[in-house]
Amino acid sequence: MTRPLSRRTLLRGAGALIALPYLEAMSPIAFAATRRAAEKVARMMYVYAPTGMMPHAWTPTTVGTDFEFQRIMKPLEKFRNDITVISGLGNNSGNLRGDAGGDHVRAVASYLTGVPIKGREVRAGTSVDQIAARVLGQRTKFASLEVACEDSRLVGGCDGASCAYQTVSWKSPTEPLPPEINPRALFERMFGDLNVSSDPVERKNQQDYRKSILDLTLADTKSLQKTLGGNDRRKLDEYLSSIREVEIRLGKADSRSLDALPAGAGKPNGIPASYAEHARLMFDLIAIAFQTDMTRVSTFMMAREGGARPYPEIGVPEAHHPVSHHGRKPDLIEKLIQIECYHLEQFAYFVEKLKSIKEGDGTLLDNCAIVYGAAMGDPQAHDHDVCPTLVAGHANGRIKRGQHIKIEKQTPMANLHLTMLELAGVPTEKFGDANGKLDFLTGI
Amino acid sequence: MRAVTFLLIPIASLAMGASPTTASSSFDSVVKPLVSQYCLDCHNSSDSSGDIDLEWLQKRGQLELQDRATWERIVEKLRAGEMPPADEPRPTREQVTTLAGWIDQQIVSLDRDAKPNPGNVTARRLNRYEYDNTIRDLLHVQLRAANEFPPDPFGYGFDNIGDVLSLSPVLTEKYLKAAERISEAAIPSVKPVPSVAVRYEAEALRQIDRQQLQTLHDFPADGNYTLRVAWENAISDKSAMTVVWYLDGKQVASTPYMWTTLADRGVDTKGVRIPQGTHKLEVDIQTPPPKQGARGSSKPSIVRIQIDGPFEQAKREEMAGYKRIFFKGPPTAKNQAGYAREILTTLARRAYRRPVTEGDVKPLLNLANLVRSRGGSFEDGIRVALQAILVSPKFLFRVERDPPAGVEAQRINDLELASRLSYFLWSSMPDDELLMLAEQGKLREPASLRSQVRRMTIDPKAHALTESFAGQWLQTRDLESLTPDAKLFPDFDARLRDAMRTETEMFFQSIVSEDRSVLDLIDGRYTFVNEPLAKLYGIADVRGREFRRVELDGAQRSGILTHASVLTVTSYPTRTSPVIRGKWVLETILNSPPPPPPANIPSLDETRVGVSASVRQQLEQHRSNPVCAGCHSRMDPLGFGLENYDAIGRWRTTEGAVPLDSSGVLPDGRQFAGATEMKTLLKADAPRFVRALSDKVLTYALGRGLEFYDRPAIEEIANRVEQNDYRFSELITATIESLPFQQRSRQPLEAAKSVARADRKP
Repeated sequence: MTRPLSRRTLLRGAGALIALPYLEAMSPIAFAATRRAAEKVARMMYVYAPTGMMPHAWTPTTVGTDFEFQRIMKPLEKFRNDITVISGLGNNSGNLRGDAGGDHVRAVASYLTGVPIKGREVRAGTSVDQIAARVLGQRTKFASLEVACEDSRLVGGCDGASCAYQTVSWKSPTEPLPPEINPRALFERMFGDLNVSSDPVERKNQQDYRKSILDLTLADTKSLQKTLGGNDRRKLDEYLSSIREVEIRLGKADSRSLDALPAGAGKPNGIPASYAEHARLMFDLIAIAFQTDMTRVSTFMMAREGGARPYPEIGVPEAHHPVSHHGRKPDLIEKLIQIECYHLEQFAYFVEKLKSIKEGDGTLLDNCAIVYGAAMGDPQAHDHDVCPTLVAGHANGRIKRGQHIKIEKQTPMANLHLTMLELAGVPTEKFGDANGKLDFLTGI
Repeated sequence: MRAVTFLLIPIASLAMGASPTTASSSFDSVVKPLVSQYCLDCHNSSDSSGDIDLEWLQKRGQLELQDRATWERIVEKLRAGEMPPADEPRPTREQVTTLAGWIDQQIVSLDRDAKPNPGNVTARRLNRYEYDNTIRDLLHVQLRAANEFPPDPFGYGFDNIGDVLSLSPVLTEKYLKAAERISEAAIPSVKPVPSVAVRYEAEALRQIDRQQLQTLHDFPADGNYTLRVAWENAISDKSAMTVVWYLDGKQVASTPYMWTTLADRGVDTKGVRIPQGTHKLEVDIQTPPPKQGARGSSKPSIVRIQIDGPFEQAKREEMAGYKRIFFKGPPTAKNQAGYAREILTTLARRAYRRPVTEGDVKPLLNLANLVRSRGGSFEDGIRVALQAILVSPKFLFRVERDPPAGVEAQRINDLELASRLSYFLWSSMPDDELLMLAEQGKLREPASLRSQVRRMTIDPKAHALTESFAGQWLQTRDLESLTPDAKLFPDFDARLRDAMRTETEMFFQSIVSEDRSVLDLIDGRYTFVNEPLAKLYGIADVRGREFRRVELDGAQRSGILTHASVLTVTSYPTRTSPVIRGKWVLETILNSPPPPPPANIPSLDETRVGVSASVRQQLEQHRSNPVCAGCHSRMDPLGFGLENYDAIGRWRTTEGAVPLDSSGVLPDGRQFAGATEMKTLLKADAPRFVRALSDKVLTYALGRGLEFYDRPAIEEIANRVEQNDYRFSELITATIESLPFQQRSRQPLEAAKSVARADRKP
């Protein structure tokens, strides 16, 4: 068999050299079957930065096209014409106090859902990415991929509410989707979580046995469910729909994705020690997933909202969250800006990667609409009034780029989501607290 | 809706008893005018802001049971100063106290009149910890397969709450994968596992500059493994050193070694026999203390370890997992058809924790036969059927049947009770003895239940209570995810982290196995230390990694509050946090967690602490803000009491140049100076602590959040503990014999959603 990949890039993973397919070299032949040439595939992504950002180091001072890049955004300056900065969007639902939860937990769970959380029961709304995934995910291996660089706390509550809230993606108002943080696990999901035999007969057997097992499990779950009352029935429902989803996924997963792997390419060994490596490895994998059309929708959390991660490698040994309460102290503000800028550097790496991948007449970035932003405003105030937001990518040439736009303070964040849905080809009438769309973003 | 914060009401008001007559007479003279003055403008029948309408209250003069949850919210907001809003006229502090006190009393009398209700536990899927334990006991295979699962969500402080344990497609996919991995470990193919070399780099494990290194490793088969270590920075002074290896904490190899040249930077063991499974592997380079006046302080630091193997692999028929399933040995030509049925019946009965039916076994046999029809072996067929068992909801969920229609509540059956017992005490499945008693309907015979509980409590599997219950209640499980700043706390490494956790586990375990007073948790004057921990505590003459019991004078340490584990998980990476520590005391010891900060009020700004002012002064300044003061005046002073311990729990008397003031005050006003006095006061309030602990134990035992109707059960458990010298065993027995543990009601009472739903106008 001819290997479609001849080159690969080497990344240093946790403790071992790992090989990933070099993106540009991935032959389109392997994936031609999945995509018609003329079809313009739109990808939607949200990249989440925790705990707000220092406004003065983020917001450009002028509007329009020739704005100056402030410190945090500096890493993106060379992609000036690929991004649009929007000032004024508010995560207003995050301001509404339900029956529990602090500023952080409300910020993260309201961000893409546009609704306030119900604190004690785990309940928000269906998030914008998941609405898109219902449509865009129909023909891809994964309806969506949720990833993050940091896990939820292991024990106890998170900011006065369940830790289940620590995700931006909600499949339904009661189904938060926990993000994957381990590159190895993500890799396994993409390229085969389960063992796949190299012998075609054995491979067929494996597939048939799995299908029989899942069929039996479905039948068991249904018959067990019949004997149960309300709450128990709901729990079993979750299992039922999950099994169906896995069954569909296994059906779609044929040998193709495995053939895409270069000879000798290994799995990442775990979570790299360095934050930058970790983030970049995760971004690499998402880029591959977009490129090979394994998914068209993704969310990515740079770190946990209100999290306590220290960044000693850039000279900030203190935990992020307490630093964010800077109290106007210059040294703490400086550290905060460094953290925020560090996050942006990793995102810039991703943008560069997408731009380096050819797709059709242009690049992969041309076919993406990616929001990078926070769900809180000024870290000191812990408010949700003016959330730093930028959009990268061209959404097949439909985004007006290279500008800084200032709109009225506390314009609902959900307006952006409605616009994103439109850009992704999933026009939607109502979403969360939206009261309009951002026509300036699409007005070419 | 499950939204009741239990025990918000001070125990004192319970004890005093609030007679409804007093309540109603004070209503007209005191409560009614206050409600009219401060609340009715918005919360009236036409506006009913926030869905709350208080007009009907004004007419009736008392609360009603279906509004209980809403009243708890109201009183919480009132106490927190969130209501009335800041821009409206606000009552005085005394008025707030009066109003809140009246509501408290009303709630108490509601609860007293409520009829018994054992509550309804939602079907629980096994959490990660239970999954691994259950696999261990079901198949005798030691894999930590659940490490690959996403973290379990928490509710009410624990990760075994049925309502909260959700299930995603990702988890389902991992169940399928784990089932394959586990069944292959239990029933390996005939081909031997290939020998490989696996490396772990110190840098990637974040354990650089150390003479120790530890990691989890999957040993794919019973066999011999060569363990290899490489280091750098060795000195060539011909001094002897020893490389010691530990598997799951037990020494398995010790290799003496003499440095001769700088080039010598690694040493291998001979083949070490290691059983299949996921094990914790540790290596330790032991060097003699540096000679007096020796030049430099160069020490070997481990760069990586490598594990080669397996060699001389055991035959699969000799492995524990295989023998557990194929209990009559390998199949013979004659017995196969009947044997397959026997094997699958036995497996399914254990896995489903109940007797099985033809409907359970037939589909499994069909699967096994399908594999055989495609040319697979007998074992291959059983392996695939086992995979189906492991993803079946009958295995993954602990399901209990509701009482039949028309019956509000009834005892759960013996099989359900057996599972409740085993998952409470062992975090695992019932063993054969327990299951058999339940099948025979003998479990509830009085002698039988008591002796089973005793048997289970002394079984090593009961360590689960320490690891899982105590680890979550005390939050010491969080240690795994914490990294104190390496520059400020160079002594903190994986070994000290382990030692901290082990100390608390051994201490809690001693309360369990010696059946001590639960009050020893607060100030027991003994503990368990090894060398790294003794060094941190300043206890002399403790050498080596083995733990030993030491007696304490109580001046610096006694009880869990001064364990390094607790002090570290309640700190930031660079410094202590009186706020977090105070919150911990409120949650853990007093069961009175503060509500989350109100909307748009920044969390307390501890980072402003600088050289010019102590943490204390800064926090005191913050408490001048009345909105913050409500909670912080309860939290912070408790945390101050622990300021003599730094962010990894080391004793100190100054912070930088500033002398420390560790005086504080309890929420009830009693004052103390330092941790020892604080503990004395906490212990003096034993009823409160015992109720807090009973609340946590019952929550964990049931796997659901507690409701107001559980209060009589808490009272009874606590009373029994008090009447039996505070013995831990009584806590366990009383919990198991309590109404909510023994019974189940049909469905949760659909509590009223709010005081004044639109359809409930007076």
